[in-house]
Amino acid sequence: MSNSDVPDVDVPDFDVVVVGAGPAGSAAALELARAGRSVCLLERGPYPGSKNMYGGVIYGRVLDSLIPNWWEEAPIQRWVTRRSTMLMTGNQALTVDYRSNTWGEAPYNGATAFRPDFDAWLAAKAEAAGAVLICSTTATGLLRDGQRVVGVRTDRPDGDLTARVVICCDGVNSFLAKEAGLYPPSDPANYTLGVKETIALPREVIDERFAVRGNHGVDIEILGCTGKVPGGGFLYTNAESLAVGLVLSLPELAKCGRRPEEILAELKSHPAIAPLIEGGEVKEYSAHMIPEAGYKMMPELIGDGILVAGDAAAMCLAAGIWLEGVNFAIGSGAAAGQAAARAVQRRDTSTAGLGDYRRRLEANFVMTDHRKLKDAPHLVMSDLAQQQLPRIACGVMEQLFTVTNPEPKPGLRKIIRSQMKLNNLKLRDAISQGVKALRTYG
Amino acid sequence: MVVPRGWPWGGVPLLMTAGSANTASLNIVACVKWAELRPEIDPLHGSVGDQPRGSGLSSSDLAAIESALVIAEAWSQSGTESSVTVLCAGPEAADAALQDLLAVGVERVVRLELKEQRSSAQVAECLAAVLTPEHLDAQLVICGDVSADRGSGSVPAFLAHQLGAVQALGLIGLEPTGSGRLTATRRLDGGRRERLLVTAPAVISVEGSVADLRRASLAATLAAKSKKIEVRVLRTDSPVEVHRLRPWRPRPRVLAPPLGDDALSRILALTGAQASSTSSRTLVLDPEQAAEAVLEQLAAWGYLSDAPPT
Repeated sequence: MSNSDVPDVDVPDFDVVVVGAGPAGSAAALELARAGRSVCLLERGPYPGSKNMYGGVIYGRVLDSLIPNWWEEAPIQRWVTRRSTMLMTGNQALTVDYRSNTWGEAPYNGATAFRPDFDAWLAAKAEAAGAVLICSTTATGLLRDGQRVVGVRTDRPDGDLTARVVICCDGVNSFLAKEAGLYPPSDPANYTLGVKETIALPREVIDERFAVRGNHGVDIEILGCTGKVPGGGFLYTNAESLAVGLVLSLPELAKCGRRPEEILAELKSHPAIAPLIEGGEVKEYSAHMIPEAGYKMMPELIGDGILVAGDAAAMCLAAGIWLEGVNFAIGSGAAAGQAAARAVQRRDTSTAGLGDYRRRLEANFVMTDHRKLKDAPHLVMSDLAQQQLPRIACGVMEQLFTVTNPEPKPGLRKIIRSQMKLNNLKLRDAISQGVKALRTYG
Repeated sequence: MVVPRGWPWGGVPLLMTAGSANTASLNIVACVKWAELRPEIDPLHGSVGDQPRGSGLSSSDLAAIESALVIAEAWSQSGTESSVTVLCAGPEAADAALQDLLAVGVERVVRLELKEQRSSAQVAECLAAVLTPEHLDAQLVICGDVSADRGSGSVPAFLAHQLGAVQALGLIGLEPTGSGRLTATRRLDGGRRERLLVTAPAVISVEGSVADLRRASLAATLAAKSKKIEVRVLRTDSPVEVHRLRPWRPRPRVLAPPLGDDALSRILALTGAQASSTSSRTLVLDPEQAAEAVLEQLAAWGYLSDAPPT
């Protein structure tokens, strides 16, 4: 902007503009509205959640303080009571399956949900608290007064909106955070591509195939299903559909020259997956970038008049055992809202005045978990986890359970050593990686 | 408000006023319908799937609103103050989107909640009941040509009849020419065009290609947030009874087993291939006889009966 374009920020349109009505943005707007601040929630889609794609489980514990008894009204598909981890090769699969009916009772643990339903519900909470939701409006840039961010420019005619604080919750690859200079140059290795098919099946067929009843559901995470491209797979049950998909390393996917839907088709035809989705009708195919590297790719979270939260701040946790996003978005969004409300009240929305945001993140699970698991994404994407571990685990099981009479049974140690040798894994490397994993997850 | 059922065969009352010289302002009403935009229809039994958030205004309805705004601006510039009202048949779920219309220059939005299923004629009766001088006092009514949910495009014609107004339907172009007047272009067979001079009071319908609805400014969008949608609930004393939903296709024909010594001849007999096909007919009939002929042919093809044709 030229100096003559500098908007009058003495009387801004709103105390705070939140860009993006996803879980982070709506949580921020809800906190601000409840604190009595005027807040505008901008959403580029025709309704909150219309642009969002998610193949995961929503863990709602973070909502307990925000919306008491949220489970009584949140639009969920199924409560996850079975969590499975599957190690897979071309024609083998080893599954560790955990079931807990406690997760199927209040206050529950995690749930599958359709994002257009869930995000719209959360945004409606913010609206009910007093936030002004404007849909079909894209924030195309920042308004500045010198270095200070004083609002956003939108794609509507006369579309400048001034505010004391802008909270960027505009999702992965945040153009606003980049424009504010909060991100270092992008490294494609920090990103993965998520692709997902939603496959319709009758409720009773899903109940039968996945051995669940009522509104209970299953979450299956899969390793070893992405060929030479590092990544993982997933399969979740919705009420009357399944979500099956992949997460693929962006640079390796580009390098291999294959299309993601080809790799997904291979997963769908795997003998462990095909019977689960058989007869289903594909209703939707979608793709989205994921900020896979988490803590190591996080931008500066605070600038002069600006905060970054949710996927825009790479708050997605892709740590193999734990694959979480919405709860981190809500946690960071709520912290941003609280910090902005406090800064506005104290009339100091400078970088220092907004510093409370960082302190709040450090004090709760968001930054604690991310820092603790900062090496996990790299570990999960390593050759050992992606290629050798699934092959060795499946190979050991194959040998262990294959009855070779009249040959006597081989010992377990011998089987493991032969499989490690077959897959070129040396004992010292296995120990080294094991120690690293213990340090990371311990 | 209760709308009595019944077609006014005894004579059509003139329910629209001309406005013009004696009227200080003209009111243009865009009649639109909130409908399922991409209905998912089961190919086997024809049931329509429930698509949450799949509803909206069709492109032709949006074109109708934009056309109303353009005409109102032109007529206002030519000396007669004109305003636009949107009359939308739809449920409460439409309110958020309708509120956005108040940001693009629409002065008033009235949502008509129709509690029972209705035929096109009954919908027109309901609309006409609101468009009268006692209520909205419309001088020009603009509709989308066909509603998104498999509409037949007949509501505007019924509406013109109800209101006793001239009609110009299925328009592909509109040009205001002076206060209360406009030139309309209609598509004809063979790539020809028909230009019509329309004077209010009139009912017109437009195709979606006529115009794109303008984008509201941010300030107007924010201001519209505090405006209210008027709601009118209409009940009819004899709603349409839906006996059974079925796909829109001819009933299967009952055929005798085909005769023939080999498979090819039996297939030819069964399919009628190589036999002379039904040639097209040109009938010159008066309107009532033509309608009878059309119904007769549709029944012969199996469209109008649940029983398979013999």
